[in-house]
Amino acid sequence: MLKQCLWEKNNTIAQSFWQNGKADFPIYDMHAHMGKHYAIYMARCEAADMIRHAERIGVKRLCFSHYAALYGTDGNEIAAENCRQHPDILRMYVGINPNYPQLMRKELANFDKWRPYAIGLKFLADYHKVKMTDPAYSYALDFASERELPVLCHTWGNSPFNGGPIMLEIIQRYPKVKFFLGHSIFGDWDSAERCIKENDGNVYLELTAIPGERGIIEDLVRRVGSEHILYGTDLPWFDEYQAVGGVVSADISEDDVRNILYRNADNIFGKEW
Amino acid sequence: MKELMFFDACCRVGDGVERPYPGISGLLADMDHFGVDRALVQHNSAGFLGAENANRILVQMLEKEDPEKRLECVWNLLPSQCGELPEPEAFFSSMKENGVHALTLDPFSHRYIPCRLTLGKYLDEAVKRKVPVFLNCFAGKWDDLYAFLREFPDLYCVVHGGDKWGRDRHLRPLLEAYAGVHVEFSGYWVPEGIADLAKLYGAKRLLYASGFPRYNQGASMLQLKHSGLDAQDIALIAGKNLETMLEESLC
Repeated sequence: MLKQCLWEKNNTIAQSFWQNGKADFPIYDMHAHMGKHYAIYMARCEAADMIRHAERIGVKRLCFSHYAALYGTDGNEIAAENCRQHPDILRMYVGINPNYPQLMRKELANFDKWRPYAIGLKFLADYHKVKMTDPAYSYALDFASERELPVLCHTWGNSPFNGGPIMLEIIQRYPKVKFFLGHSIFGDWDSAERCIKENDGNVYLELTAIPGERGIIEDLVRRVGSEHILYGTDLPWFDEYQAVGGVVSADISEDDVRNILYRNADNIFGKEW
Repeated sequence: MKELMFFDACCRVGDGVERPYPGISGLLADMDHFGVDRALVQHNSAGFLGAENANRILVQMLEKEDPEKRLECVWNLLPSQCGELPEPEAFFSSMKENGVHALTLDPFSHRYIPCRLTLGKYLDEAVKRKVPVFLNCFAGKWDDLYAFLREFPDLYCVVHGGDKWGRDRHLRPLLEAYAGVHVEFSGYWVPEGIADLAKLYGAKRLLYASGFPRYNQGASMLQLKHSGLDAQDIALIAGKNLETMLEESLC
């Protein structure tokens, strides 16, 4: 005879997602993309399909960078246009490619034009093959520092471009930038912990690719507390229900779940953004 | 779960060489926590233990620690030429005696070529007896998997769904070409991808699987529950498909 399981416990977040498909609070997905990707077939990579999928589970803000900006040259304006068409849910990170300094300056000059949809910058150092500590990023990081903007950085354990020691160095160099460590320096959890503890409170771990991994969210919460962890899916890569399922399946408190899914983003951006 | 029967198609138990992993009791505790009724288990260290040891140890573990018989084990194959496993007739009889209804292989750890020359005697018999063969050893080795299935086009088999980052370009050709191919979706995190595959190839080709202990069982349960499929298809994928496959095995 099975005992009462996670999904059956009355008045819990897990039960609400199981039965209703959503909870009584909004979700902020802080790490998404948009557009086709060379390496994968993605059936739902444009705005309408992504939004339909995200809204099913109660995503209130879907914060994305467009692949045409990260791998091409004109994607930020495409991202902005998508935001204009879907202002109730979409927010954008301005994609930065340090290998094109003139383009980077041009795109940053447009940042204010893209407000309020533009909420920060996105760096993809592993793909652009430029270390996060390289001077090629200085202009963009100075820009973010002056405005105290979030910078969502792709990070991964042992990466020579955005691994743990490199991220620790750069976040300490820019205490006014709000660093969102995409993938939480996946696999190098010691560095992820150091990045949170050895700074001025300007760093957040972002969970993309982690929910579902057994025991990892529990470990991160134990190390740094849930107040420094943000939810993300890489949508259109990962399913929102899989990712939320991974968060609510973790052995953490309901307060921790709320912190991760929306409260921390509320604290960073305010109630209306 | 009361409303759905979940039968997890991909779990591993037993200590690894590099570190300990949850055993049977750990898996059963997780199953209780998430509401998973049954699970199909392989040994974490089958690659190092060798096929015969892993097969024997798994049966012993289940006999000792799973009195309610919620778990079923998967046996590992080896090439027929070295005499390490009984001849096919005796081998399949032994499977039946031990309540084993599914097979797997570990050619890259056990160092042989997965092909008709090495495994033909066993796998031809597996086809006749409709024994499902779990091919998770080919995870990430798509060239090898494609070559293997060209040699065994009629195999009743279960392919690993991927490594988080969607593998539809690899999976869909196999589902299209081989009627016996099924997909277990531990690691298949594609947004609404389960529904897409079910609509294209039928819900009977898909199996709920967690990938325990690497992954928890809950994330993919919620993914399936809200996949967008109707209740009948969800029930098939959650557990009925695997249950039917194992019931029909060895018949």
